[in-house]
Amino acid sequence: MGDEDDIPMLVGEDDEDETIPELVKVEDKPRVPLTILTGYLGAGKTTLLNYILKEQHNKKIAVILNEFGEGSSMEKSLSIGHEGDLFEEWLELRNGCLCCSVKDKGVKAIENLMRKRGKFDYILLETTGLADPGPIASIFWMDRQLGSDLYLDGIITVLDAKYAEKNLNEKKPEGVVNEAVKQVALADLLIINKTDLVDETQLKAVTDLVSTINGSAHMVYTQRCRIDLNKLLDLHAYDKFDNDLFERSLSTRFFDGASHLDQRVQTVTVEVEGSMSPSSMDYFIDVLLWDRSLTNSAGEPVNIYRMKGIVSMIAESQRFMLQVVQQLYELEPIGYWEIDSPRTCKFVLIGENLEQEKIDDLLRTCVTLSSEFS
Amino acid sequence: STSTKMSANGVAAHCCETPGCNAEAKLQCPTCIKLNIQGSFFCSQNCFKGYWESHKLRHKKPRSPWFSEQLDQYLQYFPGYAYFKRAVTQFKNISGISDSSTPYNPWPYYAFSGSLRPYPQTTKKEVPPSIGRPDYADDPNGFPHSEQKVRGAANIKCLSDEEKEGMRVACKLAREVLDEGVKVADIGVATDEIDRVVHEAAIERECYPSPLNYHGFPKSCCTSVNEVICHGIPDMRPLQNGDICNIDVTVYHRNFHGDLNETLFIGEVSSIAKNLVKTTWECLQKSIEIVKPGVKYREVGSLIQKHAHSQGFSVVRSYCGHGIHQLFHTAPSVPHYAKNKAVGVMKPGHTFTIEPMISEGTWKDEQWPDNWTAVTADGKLSAQFEETLLVTDTGVEVLTQRRDRNGQPYFMD
Repeated sequence: MGDEDDIPMLVGEDDEDETIPELVKVEDKPRVPLTILTGYLGAGKTTLLNYILKEQHNKKIAVILNEFGEGSSMEKSLSIGHEGDLFEEWLELRNGCLCCSVKDKGVKAIENLMRKRGKFDYILLETTGLADPGPIASIFWMDRQLGSDLYLDGIITVLDAKYAEKNLNEKKPEGVVNEAVKQVALADLLIINKTDLVDETQLKAVTDLVSTINGSAHMVYTQRCRIDLNKLLDLHAYDKFDNDLFERSLSTRFFDGASHLDQRVQTVTVEVEGSMSPSSMDYFIDVLLWDRSLTNSAGEPVNIYRMKGIVSMIAESQRFMLQVVQQLYELEPIGYWEIDSPRTCKFVLIGENLEQEKIDDLLRTCVTLSSEFS
Repeated sequence: STSTKMSANGVAAHCCETPGCNAEAKLQCPTCIKLNIQGSFFCSQNCFKGYWESHKLRHKKPRSPWFSEQLDQYLQYFPGYAYFKRAVTQFKNISGISDSSTPYNPWPYYAFSGSLRPYPQTTKKEVPPSIGRPDYADDPNGFPHSEQKVRGAANIKCLSDEEKEGMRVACKLAREVLDEGVKVADIGVATDEIDRVVHEAAIERECYPSPLNYHGFPKSCCTSVNEVICHGIPDMRPLQNGDICNIDVTVYHRNFHGDLNETLFIGEVSSIAKNLVKTTWECLQKSIEIVKPGVKYREVGSLIQKHAHSQGFSVVRSYCGHGIHQLFHTAPSVPHYAKNKAVGVMKPGHTFTIEPMISEGTWKDEQWPDNWTAVTADGKLSAQFEETLLVTDTGVEVLTQRRDRNGQPYFMD
């Protein structure tokens, strides 16, 4: 085996005439969902995690505290809950060349651990209180071609019903992002916790404020983070776009409370009949995400945090789902248009300085001028 | 259009490989799976039959010892054989019966994927203080603070005319330094010697060899032999007849970095090595051809993958091309595989590298315990080529272009 002595090839040896084999199905490798759990200190993240670990008996769940910051730490602890037991493991963070490496070292460390110890059923990544979940989401929202064992399932934000309004309305100096707002904006599931500590008016105020910022997330009210675990897991926030989500975001448009809320970050929903071409889609992406040339009436640039959409593409019978987190985007086919159903393009956008009319206009440009682009 | 061929919900979907057919492919050729040949996805048995006469050529086995190859193929079907092979390697490592002729064995418990072994390294070299150094040169961990500051920001810098000139000079010097390294690469020459020559050639040209101390890297260039994909550390191993060796040079001159690499033939190499190296070089050339304002960075990967797969090779996915100017590695990130989420569109004034790593067998990579050396997971060959590019108003300027021999790669000399 691996010998360097060459046994000379037999003279006259030839490749046998191969018969055509039967093709086999490509194997799907089951991947492990990773959920990012964020929220201010004291909102109840830890309570929630302990609750999950305690309640989930048949699943093997790993919990990691996000200190995957830069630095030369070589190890990081990870807690695993399985069949009622809790034990600790270690992630080896290998340094060395991070420069042109596509996968984050935290991702590699988790994958290596799973290779050695077997796969988890779920991974929960708890961020520090003031974290911006955007960059963290980018790390785990990997290209499928990388064949990672993990995929980003979604972002869960826990809010303290009593202090959420205060945190969300806190004025930050120019250019500094309000993390609480970002955490709400990027959430796929919002848990408004400690409802026992507030009265109905306060709760409504928090709900209104939060819905204005993020009209598309599911909202759940809890006390002590007691929640039906089925609501938390399998969010599939980055590979599904259901109609409920769109309807939900649409409904916040018409609600009244928004007018007196001074929020730069809002949710806007748009829907236009027609189809887009690959080049008009490129233009749409460029303007909104990369070039950032779209502004509001005051000339302030639009800054997209999260966007989801279902798009009709010219000459394609498949529907396309658009997923965006900050500057990353992905356009994937997802099912087929029903014959005779009208072709539309609809989007839910969450970000800074969004104005309904401006987005409507932009989208109309991309849909009606599609013949010009192609 | 490539954007419509993306993966469906939850499942990594592929494109049928029959030329002209672009239907979604959920089936795979079982012979290719057995031979660990990448790709080979087809939409239907019929389509596959139609393409069979061409496709079966991929199954041609490379020349190798007939008996051990047959035995190896036969034993694949025994469960646990792969583990057995690895265990034998581990045993060889621990007991000192390894394929290397020196007793140097830094990681006795590591199961190498191929036959290459590390050799001892020489001591770290110095650069005269008169030569301008990047910030990480003097950091105890080699940490590039200036890169860290802009990390995450996806704005890609457009260079001013002055900066472009700075890049032209640095890249020209980088090519000259690589030329020097290539001149000495030969059978019996240690990669450490190549590094010594590169180090001195850089200093002679008032350049700091960028890899030195970058995140703690111990040498002045990367030498990647055979199954090493990239970031091979130069050591005392003499190059052998039949090796392929990549030399990756980056220099820092008056505040700008220039980065390039080429894979060389050492002595007489196998025909598959020749094809792999040629294909890899072609992948780079083809991708350079599409560089111009308005092109999305994510398109580079589609082109490279298409060409590599057409020859039955795979594309390494863990490492990518990168922006380069006053910073060694910065935005944009340029993956070499198809269907990636690279951010950004090429604009005049952008400077970046394309550096495809193409492998004979699997696309998967592993890392040696030195935390640097990247190797193919199956121990088969991998080749790479790299140039630093500048986007012009109408196209591209290859800043690290070879000026003599009509710009042909060294392996064609």
